[in-house]
Amino acid sequence: MTTQSIPPSTRAVRAIEEASIAPAPSPLKVVLRVASTVWSNGKARIGIVILGLFILIAVFAPLIAPYGARQNGFDRSADASAAHWLGTTAAGEDVLSQLIWGSQISIFVGLVAGLLSTVIAVLVGLSWGYVRGFGADVINFIVNLFLVIPGLPLMIVIAAYLSGGGIGMIIVVVVITGWAWGARVLRSQTQSLRSRDFVTAAVFSGERPFRIVFREILPNMTSLIVGNFFGAATAAILAEAGLEYLGLGDTTVVSWGTMLFWAQNSNALLTGQWALLFAPGLCIALLATSLTLINFGVDGISNPRLREGKQR
Amino acid sequence: MTALLEITDLSVDYGEGTGSTHAVNHVSFTLEHGEFVGLVGESGSGKSTLGFAVTGLSKPPARIAGGSILLDGVDIASLSTGELREQRHGGVAMVLQSGMNALNPVRSIRNHFVDIFRAHGHVARADWGSRATELVGKVELPAAVLDRYPGELSGGMRQRVSIALALSLEPKLMVFDEPTTALDVLVQHAVMDTIIELQKKENFTALLISHDLGIVLESAQRVLVMHEGEIVEDAPSRQILEKPGDDYTRMLLSHYADPRAEVVELPGFEDRHRAPADAHPPTVSSRTRRKDQKAIVVDHVSKVYPAPRRGESQVTAVDDVSFTLEPGQSLALVGASGSGKSTLAKLITAVEKPSSGSVRFGDLDVGSLRRGQFRRLHRDVQMVFQDPYAALNPLHTVEYTLTRPVVNFTGLKGVDARRRVLELLDTVGLSPVEEFAAKLPHQLSGGQRQRVVIARALASDPQVIIADEPVSMLDVSLRAGVLALLEDLREQWGVSLLYITHDLLSARVVTDNIMVLNGGRVVERGNTAEVLRNPTDEYTIRLLDAIPNPGRQDVA
Repeated sequence: MTTQSIPPSTRAVRAIEEASIAPAPSPLKVVLRVASTVWSNGKARIGIVILGLFILIAVFAPLIAPYGARQNGFDRSADASAAHWLGTTAAGEDVLSQLIWGSQISIFVGLVAGLLSTVIAVLVGLSWGYVRGFGADVINFIVNLFLVIPGLPLMIVIAAYLSGGGIGMIIVVVVITGWAWGARVLRSQTQSLRSRDFVTAAVFSGERPFRIVFREILPNMTSLIVGNFFGAATAAILAEAGLEYLGLGDTTVVSWGTMLFWAQNSNALLTGQWALLFAPGLCIALLATSLTLINFGVDGISNPRLREGKQR
Repeated sequence: MTALLEITDLSVDYGEGTGSTHAVNHVSFTLEHGEFVGLVGESGSGKSTLGFAVTGLSKPPARIAGGSILLDGVDIASLSTGELREQRHGGVAMVLQSGMNALNPVRSIRNHFVDIFRAHGHVARADWGSRATELVGKVELPAAVLDRYPGELSGGMRQRVSIALALSLEPKLMVFDEPTTALDVLVQHAVMDTIIELQKKENFTALLISHDLGIVLESAQRVLVMHEGEIVEDAPSRQILEKPGDDYTRMLLSHYADPRAEVVELPGFEDRHRAPADAHPPTVSSRTRRKDQKAIVVDHVSKVYPAPRRGESQVTAVDDVSFTLEPGQSLALVGASGSGKSTLAKLITAVEKPSSGSVRFGDLDVGSLRRGQFRRLHRDVQMVFQDPYAALNPLHTVEYTLTRPVVNFTGLKGVDARRRVLELLDTVGLSPVEEFAAKLPHQLSGGQRQRVVIARALASDPQVIIADEPVSMLDVSLRAGVLALLEDLREQWGVSLLYITHDLLSARVVTDNIMVLNGGRVVERGNTAEVLRNPTDEYTIRLLDAIPNPGRQDVA
């Protein structure tokens, strides 16, 4: 085994059938393995169940909801009854129906805004981590600018400036204010990966920087990116509710945020209609919590030690 | 006299049930009082697992599946954590390979000693200072290190401190797990000497775990050879050296030789004297661009790094070095760490730019290449990395890793590119090629990974290969195979080889010429065999002396 001889030519290779391309490990398997890792974490399992319930409710809202979201004409500010489990609003709408329809908006904004700000964070963070010199300094300045400006005031200013844009405007505002932190985290991970030998080796293989960043470095930080997505989605859901509660969104759309806005407007707490404030508030908290819980499981993908920790 | 340590029929498993691995398999041996015993094996042989079991430090998923470990008649495996801690005083101590990193960076060395004294209460508070001074004195360190922080000490000094810490509990048995592997060659030798001296003076029993049979034979009286979880040989050092009883031991021994000898032969290599370079004309016809071979010319090159901290002087990593690497030649660049050999490799591959002087490859000025022009250089100058575990992207198959340079440099696509990839795998001896192409790095052994790294370096059909310590991370038995591969490539493909190493023996078998670097300067150069047989510079002699050589010295 110690002597090594090289076959004189490559005859053997020529004989190999050209069609038989060995399959790489299928992406499906990788996804399944990742999913089972996340599922094996107790906290993440609770999170997935809660999130799954909310998504089901949002998807099947037309079937579940007893009435339409904006259907009014019922008794105003009624207490809970068999016909209206959570009572009605000051405008005579069914609270339960609004809650069910409203979940669509919160989940949609959370997922889309989370996804968009993650994409921006990945693009900026990875190129920022890979380039050196003047370019990096410019990006550094811009990212720091977004980091040092307090988030909520910035959001309010932008929202007021873009007023009347509805859900799309809310998403834009959340993305603009939410990408910078993720970019900074991904940048530092990129910097530590770029000094690894396999990245240098890719340079020796003649790879272009773009390919090195997105084919060599990016796949090695998948769990960080997934974690960043759930974090961003959580922040987006909270920010959306916050903006709408302040009346900065489109108040005619029914979402948990606008429900809180109208409840506050009609002094629901003074009239004893706690469900009006409590129900959407609890839903927002639960949805945000479920995403955070899932993130505990995502940590386990990149750090096997967190997985084995429970054995001791 | 009864034995200090008696191990009977010990098995250690990883995991439970059907999926478990037997790391240590029904092992029995004894250690007498005051003995110095070596435990040798390659990676995965179970030697460290055994060492941890002896010290009662086995951690899940490792568990003792059977047998007993009796230290002075007490079974270590049955002790509770508390009893085990008390037993540490006057019992077993362990020095780890990474022991120098086990020191807490924010606590002074004195605090480390005080922690132990306080936990065990075996030294009166008034004597703490004097006892700590005495202990560091034993490992040949001045008392001043007590007030230093770990970060202010060199690797060798930190390892000495961790030996002193282990000594502070007056152990009967000291287990050294690869105590010098992470250290620089010259330091390695000095620390090993200290350990041997200490053992003689303090008369503790020592178990030295190492992958390096040379180091073990130089220091131990008796050697246990471990292979795949079993002890295959247990004999006095001299007997191992002269009449090894087991095939595995013989195989390990065959990889040692004295680089100073007249004729040096390793398995797979015949001596260069008998086979002059021109006896093997290049034979591979697939190499198309051999005609326009170019030389690498390094002309009065210096590299100066700015001072690491304010107030310190700047660092001269490479100082006025000139040499020419002719086509087809093999040149060894030898020196301890910090001698500037890796910096030189970076300068030649345009990773760094020289502070003064020039590096030229043919008519290409390497020093002034911009990032976008790297392909022009890397088409002909390729690199084999030191650590095969870090040099392959863990998420890409072998095929992807090899296809990229083929596509980038040769312009082949699709089926042609794939055929070329399989050819490369065949060249580096990874067959069946189809099977290896589909594998991910973690499914390969260290030696196989290094072959993939070499195949990648060959993909562009380069003229020059720079190999930076290509075998230092591999087991002894795998080294010869990888070195032989490099040597064959040079002969048959006609590539020139710049071989960077601290290992003079491997330099002797794969290179024609040698340059010895010390502190960034070339202190000696010439024909490899001649330089190593008649070294003139004091530094080269020290490097040669630091090589453990079982046959050279009288074994105790």
